Amino acid sequence: MKGLDGYMERRGDKEKVEVPLTALRDGESGIITSIKTGQGRGLGGGWGFKRRLMDMGLTPGTRVTVVKSAPFHGPLEISVRGYRLALGRGMAERIFVERKG
Amino acid sequence: MSERRLTIALAGNSNVGKSVIFNHLTGLHQHIGNWPGKTVERAEGTLHFKGYTIDIIDLPGIYSLSTYSLEESISRRYIAVEKPDLVINVIDASVLERNLFFTLQLIELETSMIIALNQIDIAKKKGIKIAPEKLEKLLGIPVVPTVATKGVGIFKLVKKASEVVEKGSKAKPIEVRYGEEVERGVARITKMVDEIHFWYPPRYVAVKLLEGDEEIIREVKQIAPQIVSVAEEFATELEKLHGHSCSTVITSERYEIAGCIAREVQKLVPPIKPPIEERLDTLTTHRILGYPIMAVLLLSMFYSIFAFGSYTSERLSNFFYGWQPFVESVLGAGVLGKLVWGGVAEGIIAGVTIALPYIAPFYLILYLLEDSGYLGRIAFLMDNVMHKIGLHGKAFIPIMLGYGCNVPACLGCRIMETERERLLAAFVTTLVPCAARTVIILGLVGHFIGIQWALVLYVFDLLIIFFLGRLAFKTLPGEPTALIMEMPEYKMPHLNTVLKQTWFRLEEFIKIAFPLIIVGSFALKLAEILGLLEPIATALSPVTVTWLGLPAAAGITLIFGVLRKELALIMLATLLGTMNFSQVLTPVQMVVFTLVAMFYIPCIATVAALVREFGWKKALFITVFEIAFAISLGGVTLRLLMLAM
Repeated sequence: MKGLDGYMERRGDKEKVEVPLTALRDGESGIITSIKTGQGRGLGGGWGFKRRLMDMGLTPGTRVTVVKSAPFHGPLEISVRGYRLALGRGMAERIFVERKG
Repeated sequence: MSERRLTIALAGNSNVGKSVIFNHLTGLHQHIGNWPGKTVERAEGTLHFKGYTIDIIDLPGIYSLSTYSLEESISRRYIAVEKPDLVINVIDASVLERNLFFTLQLIELETSMIIALNQIDIAKKKGIKIAPEKLEKLLGIPVVPTVATKGVGIFKLVKKASEVVEKGSKAKPIEVRYGEEVERGVARITKMVDEIHFWYPPRYVAVKLLEGDEEIIREVKQIAPQIVSVAEEFATELEKLHGHSCSTVITSERYEIAGCIAREVQKLVPPIKPPIEERLDTLTTHRILGYPIMAVLLLSMFYSIFAFGSYTSERLSNFFYGWQPFVESVLGAGVLGKLVWGGVAEGIIAGVTIALPYIAPFYLILYLLEDSGYLGRIAFLMDNVMHKIGLHGKAFIPIMLGYGCNVPACLGCRIMETERERLLAAFVTTLVPCAARTVIILGLVGHFIGIQWALVLYVFDLLIIFFLGRLAFKTLPGEPTALIMEMPEYKMPHLNTVLKQTWFRLEEFIKIAFPLIIVGSFALKLAEILGLLEPIATALSPVTVTWLGLPAAAGITLIFGVLRKELALIMLATLLGTMNFSQVLTPVQMVVFTLVAMFYIPCIATVAALVREFGWKKALFITVFEIAFAISLGGVTLRLLMLAM
């Protein structure tokens, strides 16, 4: 899944909507669908961050819960595979999830 | 007998209690250094057990053996190429799945290993019960349950390790097998790799080629480029089939295996929630309250360290100077006496009165904060600010250290992930006013102009750090990385480990800084005896007098401030003939002098630390830049202040 396909929105099939992880409120969970790569200063792209996220257990199909987010567009704290992970916001914006309550 | 010597490496994720186990095993026989030519820390120690002399290497805490970071590629190379006799894989029982993901990679690398199943007490608290025998059976790797913080299981671990080295493991490790499509590619490539005799196991190379591991691709390409193209073909095919990149597919499947094993061996019961830790976490990372709590904590930490430091420092130096008449009476008051006392002895005294009262408590508190888990929260809270200068939250930690002393701060930049960030963070930390510079700021501006002006200088320093940091971030090529950090759970710090870490850091500092402080003092005294101070002052006067508007004597103090910054003020007093600076310096001169002293160069020990971490060129560049910057800043400030008055 790349580029615009990542935003696919199947008509009449609401639960399949992908949103970036940052769209979840504190306490909300989602299932990871894809991680978008790409360049961009300050966004944390282009240095193998996707590889790193995978190694930390954020593979497609994994359930993540947003524990809390720091103010002023700060990082996110998420719960994944039984532990807590702090993620820079720029990176969290590239992780796409399907909302799951 | 040389065959009685063994090498055992500790490998595992961060925050699994690896360093606690390392400390148990090695006691006080430790040495902290760098991996040859790399800014990655290498901790080594020795253990004597049943006639064996065992070298223990503590590998960096990593989550994977891909080559995302320097730590990972160094660890992988070490395990696969240098081949220690045994690897002890320390795993956190409370986060079994993610830890097993790493274990599986060690197994794929065909490492001779045993597992320390650590922190079973924390797992129990979280409601996770693990059957170690079952884990041992499933993995085919010996497993020893441990609670390192209480010393439980450590002896068994060493015993098991020596047994496995002597007789080998009875069981055969599981074969990590992927889905059918992946396996087809792996089988084909393994066969090809088998023929070229590569230094990694063939199956491992095959998997890594499919995953697109840059390092291995590069190395295989040099020997047999056709293998790489076959791997690429398979990878593209797999990507089409699964809709995800091949590395995603393989990593997911590996996690799937880890998850299966974890679910098989652990039983979840309702957790006994530790309410205090839970509440502490909520409070300290609270979106509003988190910041004032951090500010209060850090400020009181700095305040108490400086209060303790200045008191102890004075006591210590009084004690040492009490010996001066005695030493001089033995050596005479001639050139020899002056050189030995003023050069060597005073150098040692200066080192001791800085290292013990300031740096030791700094490290102690820092490690207490780290071990308790609070340091991670600070990184979380500061991530946003640090991003403005191209760094992420973790960089705040060496910056904090910088307020104590720039030397450990530079070494502390090893916690950053990439070389670029280590350099950027080190550059920023050299601009942080250390304890010695604080003496100048408070002693000159704070004392004679007013404490509020000293505070203004501190704020100004922060602005400069921000400005120069941003400038460096924009100029240095490369991409910034973002924060990806495990948030450790709050726990009681393990005092013994904290004390040992403090001690070994202090030792590292002493090794770098002490020789230079002594050489510096010696050079200073020699120059004084040879009557070189006067000509130096005259030679520098175009800069000091004309551009900076300072008395000529200030030039000497600035030159020698490079050797020992905390001496700058005392030297100035000696040269001007009074401690009451208000009689000889105008307030503007005081501000200019302090500003230049703040920025013009990290002291020689810091330069040495920079050289050690980044090489001559970069160290020299930072040094020259900072001198030029400080002198320009001083001159401009002088003219602005004159205009304003």
